[in-house]
Amino acid sequence: MNREEQYLSEYEAPRFAKLRPNLHAACFPLMKLLPARFILDRAQSSGQLSAGGHIAETTSGTFGLALALLAAVRGYELTLVTASSLIDDAFRRRLELLGAAVRATADHKGTGDQEARLAELRGILEDRPETFWPRQYDNPQNALAYGRLAERIVRVVGRVDCLVGCVGSGGSLCGTGGFLRTLFPGLRLVAVDTNRSVLFGHPAGPRLLRGLGNSIVPANLKHEAIDEVHWVGALPAFSAARAHYREHAIFMGPTSGAAALVAGWHAGRDPGASCVVILPDEGHRYQDTLYDDAWLEALEGWPVCAPTTPVQLTRVQPGGECDWTYVEWRRRELRDAPGAGDVP
Amino acid sequence: MSPGTADRDSFEAGRVFYNGHVRAISLQTGIGQAIAHHGELLQGVFQGRDRRLHRALLTLPHPLRMTTATFWPSSSGVIAVRPADRTKAARAAKLTLDHLGFGPAAGDLTIESTIPVGHGYGSSTADVIASIRAAAASAGTSLRPSAVSRLAIEAETASDAIAYCEQPVLFSHREGFVLEHFGAEYPPLVVVGCRCGTEPVDTLRLPRARYSSEEIEQFRTLRGLAGRAFAQQDPWLLGRIATISACISQRYLPKPGFDAVRSIAEDFGACGVQVSHSGTVAGILLDARNREAASRALSVADALLRSGFHDVTRFSINGEGALAG
Repeated sequence: MNREEQYLSEYEAPRFAKLRPNLHAACFPLMKLLPARFILDRAQSSGQLSAGGHIAETTSGTFGLALALLAAVRGYELTLVTASSLIDDAFRRRLELLGAAVRATADHKGTGDQEARLAELRGILEDRPETFWPRQYDNPQNALAYGRLAERIVRVVGRVDCLVGCVGSGGSLCGTGGFLRTLFPGLRLVAVDTNRSVLFGHPAGPRLLRGLGNSIVPANLKHEAIDEVHWVGALPAFSAARAHYREHAIFMGPTSGAAALVAGWHAGRDPGASCVVILPDEGHRYQDTLYDDAWLEALEGWPVCAPTTPVQLTRVQPGGECDWTYVEWRRRELRDAPGAGDVP
Repeated sequence: MSPGTADRDSFEAGRVFYNGHVRAISLQTGIGQAIAHHGELLQGVFQGRDRRLHRALLTLPHPLRMTTATFWPSSSGVIAVRPADRTKAARAAKLTLDHLGFGPAAGDLTIESTIPVGHGYGSSTADVIASIRAAAASAGTSLRPSAVSRLAIEAETASDAIAYCEQPVLFSHREGFVLEHFGAEYPPLVVVGCRCGTEPVDTLRLPRARYSSEEIEQFRTLRGLAGRAFAQQDPWLLGRIATISACISQRYLPKPGFDAVRSIAEDFGACGVQVSHSGTVAGILLDARNREAASRALSVADALLRSGFHDVTRFSINGEGALAG
């Protein structure tokens, strides 16, 4: 392993914070390095990816950054497909400085344009059939990569009764949760999503909270493993991320804010349960948005009267950017959840 | 002392310092002992510092059964062993004396053991390790566990972690090195052991398990939990690890009666079950800190006997008298 690789393998590890007596947070600088490195390692050893080869992926953020870091160090060519609504100039520059080619679809509806991005990617694969596509949404190696996180968690925390995490691809929550549940069969898995993400049955729509949720349902999301689903609107998530920074001096992104909000509520409600929350990335990328007062004040609904408890729903139904709702999912398939897929 | 000063050997209490080795002037009678094990708490494949995967195990020691080896130097020209079929033990003694600079040495090696052969109690390795220790004692020295393990693997291609006595280590049994020192000691356990099946297993002829990617990643988490279990001295976490490892082992070397052992363990509130991953041994693990550990161990033993299991035994590890009285 060369020295750059050693740096990245250490960079992929979380730091642990004890947020409450029964709540540990695994705080990642860049969680997606974990699956990216795992998938590229496997592709290299199976011969799917040869020296100097081409990698292409559709991603709106940190998985792309993780691939770009690894591609730079390992000498691969990388093409990332994103949507114009999902990428800002600073982040784009960060990717391009690493040598990645970034293609953004127009995304007129502002939904993340997942279908158009996949069509663009298929075009790349047709033009250059030797291209390796990591397929973070459907590649089971994405979930397998989280054995490393499960190992870290049990070394630090021991027994775990409740795991809270955001869902985008499903890899981190279902992967980590699957390994932990083998160790602790009573483990409760709590998914954090946002309104107008289709993952747990909302109709697709514009989402202000990015980095979790999805406009397609990835194969790595195992609905039948999930006990409880929360939909956190953007404003409570932003507010929670800021409070998290102020209270614990841990500077994380908005999805981490949403996850910490849900986990804090859970841990407070069940003080005997050992809870763990996964916080996937840091706050630097959001300095000009949720960490900027002027930007926030321009948002409709801000200042938010931040809810301290969620509203329990009996059917899946979308809410607004100020809402925080949840359902007892009860390890159901998506098609079996009342209200899932209804058009409002 | 550096090799350059070897010509200035210094004498001390009948020994001579030579090329940095402490060396007896002549071989004496040497005695060595090694305990048995009761299968493993964990066995699988694990990543080493070289980032490659290595087969490795975490042994459950069985301090009640042991091998004693005695080496008498002679001028016969060969190492003669009794019983005569313990050729690996003789080879181990020879390798040890060669290693210490006494080759070619000769003598009589006697193996006395209370360990049943071929069921996963590590009888062969205990013979080998006791012989290595006897040969080293004969040369007036003792060897570090890492050196003992390397010699044992040279003598019989695979070893277990018995050279580390009761230190918990994740040990590569085919390559002879430690992947992880868990540091502390074993948490207080009472073990009720039995045999699943009666046919002995030839360990070295078993096909190697070909674990799935998912199992390999799960082993990572079991290793992490073992680190936690030893750090916290928690027999419950250790029992959980052992049960999962035993369940994975069932896919490769299924033991008849394993489900019955598990259900007895559940009935009596045990921490878990463990097996010999290459033998017929199974054990039910109880928390030795529990005041009722001794009576519960008796009840578990009864239940195993009533279910038709053979060779039911009880012993404790760091139990501090849990089975006394």
